Amino acid sequence: MKLNSQLKEDTGYSWVMTRVEPASPFGHALVRNPKWYGPGEQDKLEAEFSRVDTLLNLMGEGSVLLESIIHILSEFHDIRNSLKRPTSAPMDEVELFEVKHFLIYLERLAEECGKLPRLEGLEIRPMDAALNLLDPSGRRLPAFSVENAFEPALERVREEKALVENALRQTEKKGRDDLMARRRELVLKEDRLELEARKRLTMALLRDRDTFLSTMEDIGRLDLVLAKAKLARRFCCCRPAITAEARVVAVDMIHPEVADHLKERGGEFTSVSLTLEQGATVITGANMGGKSVSMKSLTLNLLLAQTGFFAFAKAFSAPLFDSVSLICTDRQSVEQGLSSFGAEVAALGDVLRQEKGKFFYVALDEFARGTNPREGAALARALVEYLGRLNCVALLTTHYDGVSDAARRHYRVAGLGALDTAAIRKDEAPLDRLSRLMDYHLIESEPGEPCPRDALRVCRLLDLEPDLMEIFSKNS
Amino acid sequence: MTPLLAPLVGDAPTITIIGLCKNAGKTTAMCRLIEELSGEVLAMTSVGRDGERTDVVTGTEKPEIWVPEGTLFATARGMLPLCDTTLQVEGVTDVMTPLGAVGIFRALSDGFIQLAGPSAVNQLAPLSHTFRAMGARRVLIDGAAGRKSLAGAEPGACAILCVGASMDGGVSAIAAETAHTCRLFATPEAEHTGLWSALSRETARYALYTLEGERLPLALEENGQPRWHELPREKCVLWIGGGVTGPTLRTLARRGAPIVLAAPDATHFLCDRTSTETFHRCGGELLVRQKLTIAAVTANPWSAYGKHLDGAELLRALRSVVTVPVVNVKGEN
Repeated sequence: MKLNSQLKEDTGYSWVMTRVEPASPFGHALVRNPKWYGPGEQDKLEAEFSRVDTLLNLMGEGSVLLESIIHILSEFHDIRNSLKRPTSAPMDEVELFEVKHFLIYLERLAEECGKLPRLEGLEIRPMDAALNLLDPSGRRLPAFSVENAFEPALERVREEKALVENALRQTEKKGRDDLMARRRELVLKEDRLELEARKRLTMALLRDRDTFLSTMEDIGRLDLVLAKAKLARRFCCCRPAITAEARVVAVDMIHPEVADHLKERGGEFTSVSLTLEQGATVITGANMGGKSVSMKSLTLNLLLAQTGFFAFAKAFSAPLFDSVSLICTDRQSVEQGLSSFGAEVAALGDVLRQEKGKFFYVALDEFARGTNPREGAALARALVEYLGRLNCVALLTTHYDGVSDAARRHYRVAGLGALDTAAIRKDEAPLDRLSRLMDYHLIESEPGEPCPRDALRVCRLLDLEPDLMEIFSKNS
Repeated sequence: MTPLLAPLVGDAPTITIIGLCKNAGKTTAMCRLIEELSGEVLAMTSVGRDGERTDVVTGTEKPEIWVPEGTLFATARGMLPLCDTTLQVEGVTDVMTPLGAVGIFRALSDGFIQLAGPSAVNQLAPLSHTFRAMGARRVLIDGAAGRKSLAGAEPGACAILCVGASMDGGVSAIAAETAHTCRLFATPEAEHTGLWSALSRETARYALYTLEGERLPLALEENGQPRWHELPREKCVLWIGGGVTGPTLRTLARRGAPIVLAAPDATHFLCDRTSTETFHRCGGELLVRQKLTIAAVTANPWSAYGKHLDGAELLRALRSVVTVPVVNVKGEN
């Protein structure tokens, strides 16, 4: 599955990716297009997790080796185009310099990686033959020139040229013209010989083009594994467990982007635990009780797991899905001229059509809220029942009663509890107050349990016009 | 070869060659200086957009520079085919130009090179640093960006101002403009130690001080400009961190109260000759935080437009209006 940008934005995957810091251009290229591990690729995914684990443990021990590796990685330039080479023109001195630079740093990287514990499936090998070609003296100095060693005829021409240039130094205006003409001839000879040498070097290097390109990819993969380990360490992520059954278990999961924003405002994110099985799981609860966030957290962690990252949770286990989708319309569908309901239905239709016969995950945020409640509730209820028959794991949030009737599991947000007027601090911003009094924990409930009636309390806490509130409470 | 420029630049670690106009003879001056400094390991580059093989504006060929073996130079990689020294690539910078990335090269033989270095002056400092790490004793900069090429130059650096007949107006106009530029560059630093320290630390766009360097309140408009008519009538020092333009000087002159104007260095004086003269006539003074030196003025009587001047007359006219030594790089006096 390819992760489209809307999915990445909505789930917070993009936010996480901006905190992934590869050191090399090859690593950066991989972060932009993360590899997706689908059903049947469990072994490869486990191998990637093991590699991340190995480096994570090494970081825990305070290894200086990793710092040295990161430094070498940061010195690579992206020379893939030099090797992909659309024209047959030979490389100029600067390109050859860059290739030599790449090979010297590759040699250093291979040496340092040799000191690491074995990373199954990932090995950095130097390209000795190519480096010796560009560095016949073996001194591994960074500078590059078309040396006499590359083309023996150059020695003679350069010697003659030096003699002429020496003569020029001692000659004033008269006689310079002849010497300059002689020099020009020699310069042209030298240019021709240098060109021949560059052609030969280019052809020899291009014979190894595939090795160059696959080595650059391996460097990128190493870089990415390191970056994943750094991320996991920074955010205390856990290694996901890949299961065969249709069951997703998340223990003390967080949404890192929301947690970050909260921290800035002086709050603390309440971690949430959730178990999903085949069919639909429904989350109900008070407004602003974090239902959406919980759903997005779970979806985010699934995406992370299936792209080889560790999860933002104390424990996380999931199967490998063919696709992971999120249908929420708090964004730009309105801009496209679709009502939010129209957009949802279109998106749902797409998912059901494309995933027919496959094993998929879909999350829907307050499906059918944008239409009249009676029809909406009926539609949502029907969807829950329908999903229960498919080979999928689905997660829905809703306000409507009865939607959880046919659900496999039902969670509700603990919510506001009893309203304690003494708990109201006068100088507090209403939204912060709501945040403070809200209990975001998810409690497992029976399917069919009615939704809480919290709207009145939310309005009071947000300081809605008292006269309006009086009419409301009289009518409800 | 009689040393004409070398004695004037002395030990300056960086020498920037700037022209009062296009085709002022910068490259000729540079080649002369390189020859006079033979024996030293030189590094060179250009700053500004002067990277074309021929001068796009006037259609004249841009001469190449002859350098000795061992010279370090930074130029865009697109220029390599035009450099005929045997050369070695020492490094590639991340400075991009229309002719490709700027690379650092070492000449392994004598020969011609063409310079097309960074377009922005602030990209020069890291390049100079690299040059010195590679063993260069001096850095020569072809300042194609005019006076701005000197912005941020380190203490001890100096400039050579090249003046040529390609400029409009004949000998007297050229002499007047040259004198104006030299006078701006001769702007002194503050003598009072208190004021000098205050200016050396100043980072704001505008600030006001007493002559002794004590801060004074400065009223600003919404757009950040000072309220000119609210400036004190007693003589004080107005710091301008950005450019000092002709209109600013005329506004200050019109106040009728003399004022001292301080700028980071002479490259910030973007004012024309007449406005500057008006400002001075009304008792205005100029100061800089860091003095930049013009070591020599070179005169080029040849015009790209065909209106050649009399070489001797040009030299005479220049020598009569500037105190900085005036040199004819072709050697005749």
